[in-house]
Amino acid sequence: MLNKFRTYQPWLTLLSRLILGGVLFAAGALKIGNLQKSAMAVRAYEMLPVELANFLGYALPWIEIGIGLLLIVGASVKICGLLGAFTMLAFIIAIAQAWARGLSIDCGCFGGGGTIDPEETKYLSEIIRDIGLLAMGVFLYYFPKGKLSLDR
Amino acid sequence: MATNSGADKGTRNLVIVMVLFIVAVGVIFSLISSRSNSTAAIPAAVSEADGYGIVLNPESTPKIDVYVDYQCPACRSFELINGKYLNEVIEAKKAKVVFHPMTFIGPESILAANAAACSADENRFVAMNLALFQNQPSGENTGKWQNPFFIELGKSIGINSTTFESCVNDGKYVDWTTNVASASAKADVNSTPTVLINGKPLDRNTQYGDPANFKAALEAAGVK
Repeated sequence: MLNKFRTYQPWLTLLSRLILGGVLFAAGALKIGNLQKSAMAVRAYEMLPVELANFLGYALPWIEIGIGLLLIVGASVKICGLLGAFTMLAFIIAIAQAWARGLSIDCGCFGGGGTIDPEETKYLSEIIRDIGLLAMGVFLYYFPKGKLSLDR
Repeated sequence: MATNSGADKGTRNLVIVMVLFIVAVGVIFSLISSRSNSTAAIPAAVSEADGYGIVLNPESTPKIDVYVDYQCPACRSFELINGKYLNEVIEAKKAKVVFHPMTFIGPESILAANAAACSADENRFVAMNLALFQNQPSGENTGKWQNPFFIELGKSIGINSTTFESCVNDGKYVDWTTNVASASAKADVNSTPTVLINGKPLDRNTQYGDPANFKAALEAAGVK
């Protein structure tokens, strides 16, 4: 069992890197074309002071791109896995509090965002997806060494 | 890991530095370009103190703020449902009304907001605002909303001046739209339409889609 894990772990690390990194990179890249909307999406969570929400709206897409790129090429995987997991945890908290407070917003995860019709919200599936990605980030923190990586 | 070589490590570190550089430049550039530009040309009807909005009846009370994006379908519905009454209120000078054309839907929102600002200089903003929503394309940034279209739209509501035409074509107030966006972001407006009466938002569930409720909300605030 343990031997099998040792064989597959470098491939699982590669897979986690590509999925988490790919999702983060795509999420950031889809947002940088319209940062006004990105800032609006963060404000719509009604969680942070408005200045901080606007700052994050402009900064977060670039940070996602950065973590995504580093994970894909496999540089500083341990730290980036942790940062990716932390980002997902923040998203999960943000979405859960919006859900609990009865806000009707689009998560704005891949562009878009803001207030939407209550029947269009998809909080549960968004949270489940982010839990999966969070798990990959944690896995990368504990097992950063994998195939096709710049890290040695 | 006996294969660890200096060259590999160098490549890895170089990649990390490059990515961090891209992120830092991206963040700084984005934050700077989102800031209000004090040298942007602004229409005569625009007041910086009112969030760079287009102000109608500056001396009247109460104050009504209307945040829209000309490409937003819900804003179109709002205008078609409540625009007639709101325009009567403006006509009779029963309230100070401030329009904030936001541009988060993209390039054609910016061109439309510029054209609306140009129409304000011709004292035809209310008619242009309505005409824009009546002619909203079905879909975002479809290519239909370009400057020749706005010039024709202006003519259809009686704006024939060459100043309007050059104002639209030159994108005279394009930079101003960033100021509106920046002020709207600071005012924590996170969806459109958003209507504030004396700074207090209307109830999204009941007071936007029902003309009787909308009218009642304005009357409660002192619009008689």
